[in-house]
Amino acid sequence: MAADPIVQVRDLSKLYRQGDIDVTALNHVSVDIQPAEFVVLMGPSGSGKSTLLHIIAGIDRPTSGDVLVQGINVGNLSESDLATWRNQYVGFVFQSFNLIPVLTAAENVELPLLLTRLDRKSRKEQVQAALELVGLGDRLHHRPDQLSGGQQQRVAIARALVTDPVLIVADEPTGNLDAKSASDVLDILRSLSSRSGKTVIMVTHDPKAAGYGTRSLHLEKGEIVA
Amino acid sequence: MTVFGFILKNALRNTRRALLTISSVAVSSALLVSLMTLERELTVPPEAEGASLRIIARNKVSLMQPLPAKQLSAIQRIPGIVTVTPFTYFGGLYENEEFTSFAQFAVDPVPFQSIIVDGPVIDGSYEAWVKNRTGCLVGADTMKRYNLKVGDQMRFRGTFYPCDLDLKIEAVYQGTVDDRNIFFHHKLLDELTGDPGTVGTWYLRAESVEVADRVIQQVNDTFANTSAEVRAESERAFQMGFVSMWGNVSNLIRGVNLVVVFTLVLVAVSTMSMAVRERFRELAVLKALGFQRRDLFGFILAEGFGLSVIGGAVGIGGAWAFWTFSDIQQMTNGFLIVFEVTPRIVGMAAAVASVLGVVSSIGPAISVGRMSVVEGLKTLD
Ligand SMILES: Nc1ncnc2c1ncn2[C@@H]1O[C@H](COP(=O)(O)OP(=O)(O)OP(=O)(O)O)[C@@H](O)[C@H]1O
Ligand SMILES: [Mg+2]
Repeated sequence: MAADPIVQVRDLSKLYRQGDIDVTALNHVSVDIQPAEFVVLMGPSGSGKSTLLHIIAGIDRPTSGDVLVQGINVGNLSESDLATWRNQYVGFVFQSFNLIPVLTAAENVELPLLLTRLDRKSRKEQVQAALELVGLGDRLHHRPDQLSGGQQQRVAIARALVTDPVLIVADEPTGNLDAKSASDVLDILRSLSSRSGKTVIMVTHDPKAAGYGTRSLHLEKGEIVA
Repeated sequence: MTVFGFILKNALRNTRRALLTISSVAVSSALLVSLMTLERELTVPPEAEGASLRIIARNKVSLMQPLPAKQLSAIQRIPGIVTVTPFTYFGGLYENEEFTSFAQFAVDPVPFQSIIVDGPVIDGSYEAWVKNRTGCLVGADTMKRYNLKVGDQMRFRGTFYPCDLDLKIEAVYQGTVDDRNIFFHHKLLDELTGDPGTVGTWYLRAESVEVADRVIQQVNDTFANTSAEVRAESERAFQMGFVSMWGNVSNLIRGVNLVVVFTLVLVAVSTMSMAVRERFRELAVLKALGFQRRDLFGFILAEGFGLSVIGGAVGIGGAWAFWTFSDIQQMTNGFLIVFEVTPRIVGMAAAVASVLGVVSSIGPAISVGRMSVVEGLKTLD
């Protein structure tokens, strides 16, 4: 494995206070993830998988502990710097696709590029390339409601990779898909790590999906058990 | 795609709601403009150059009490007066009308000519009217409204005078603040009423604005402690006296305006919060993709502001066009004359629409700013 881990999770804890009781979502979690790994997070419902993913991706903050991505301590960034960091470093794929319904596939993919300095022409080229990579080069001008679930999720993957981030996080990306669409999506995620060298972290309940990863982490009650 | 295109697509995603919002803002703005114009019409009397030169002297007790005709020579002796004429309101009903919206005044045509200088004769001849004891001088608006021409007869039924009038149109004037009234010989009225030796009011013209106040004072003084004390005031002050009657109406209109604005704010606020609430999840996704709090703030503000301003433009423009190009005198039976939608009114209504756009978006924008990505992602579609 490469010398420097791309993601370093150090003694991470997350507590939720509900009334008088504290709920421990993450309990002193530490883990290193190497570049181009395809890490699968598994575990029972409520074990803290999503919480860990959110904190690594910079959309949630830990109660204590640190997350370093390429040496940057994500928890120390201001709200505004964190947003910019997410735009450059992280691509998101969600269980329910989360595309903007009034925008076409190409426009959805272009969204994160509106925050970059790219001009219109280079944006268009990158969008085209990203959609071709997920096999939707011919569906640029379809709106989400004109696409199947599997196609929508592939548009979402194109949106996640169009900014060329180092990290792609996916929370149950196949949870809403049939077997065929699911394996298409998993193939793409796998090739992103094996061919494009992206680090992919995916949460799933499906043991078959877990087989696509290069490493599995099992969470239970907020702790990594395997 | 540009950021602007993105905002536009968002604003128009629910076309029906966008149209309903625009229409409700448009209708309310039009209502606002109309009410403000009405208020102005009722409280700001029409003004003409001569209005501060012309003086009306009426019975101090009330406008309804007549004055003795023999006061004339005493008034004529007051220095600084160019001319004086009796000026008596007849209050008749035209032909078969139940309500007549223009007034008929009995005057002495010769001195009256230098009082009505604002409105030159445009048809017929003033001299012909002076010569014809049963002739009349008619305003151009009334001519047009009843499709009359010089030489026609006009008949009026007396209401508080026990006599009728049958007058021949000898001349037409145009260019005064109110081109509806008609004038006829006071001598005719005297004759028909058995020469009671009274007039309604005196209408006089001062030499200059400088002497007008002194003339007013002197007229009042001349008849102090007589059986018919007089109250003289400039035509402008006289009009303002009428206007004060409208004071309460004016407050009422302002109250209605407030209600209109308040309702409008409620509509706009609820529309924008609905529009944003159903998009909470999408906005959370945008945040995850790297959009800043201020970007989302801007998207929402631009959308709310855009809808309000378009609605305002439609409503204000529509109201302006409607009141400018329609015949308000005709529509209101002459109750309203000018009904001018002034730039000030347009500006105020536009300001209301703009502020509305900001006010309606600020709440939703703040709640989106506060929302964490994780929270937002959990909301259901
Ligand atoms: N906003 C919150 N307030 C209180 N408790 C929370 C909150 N979010 C998560 N939790 C709790 O934190 C724990 C971990 O939640 P998390 O969503 O990470 O679980 P998960 O492993 O992703 O579960 P699932 O497989 O059902 O998605 C759970 O016990 C959950 O109830
Ligand atoms: Mg989860």
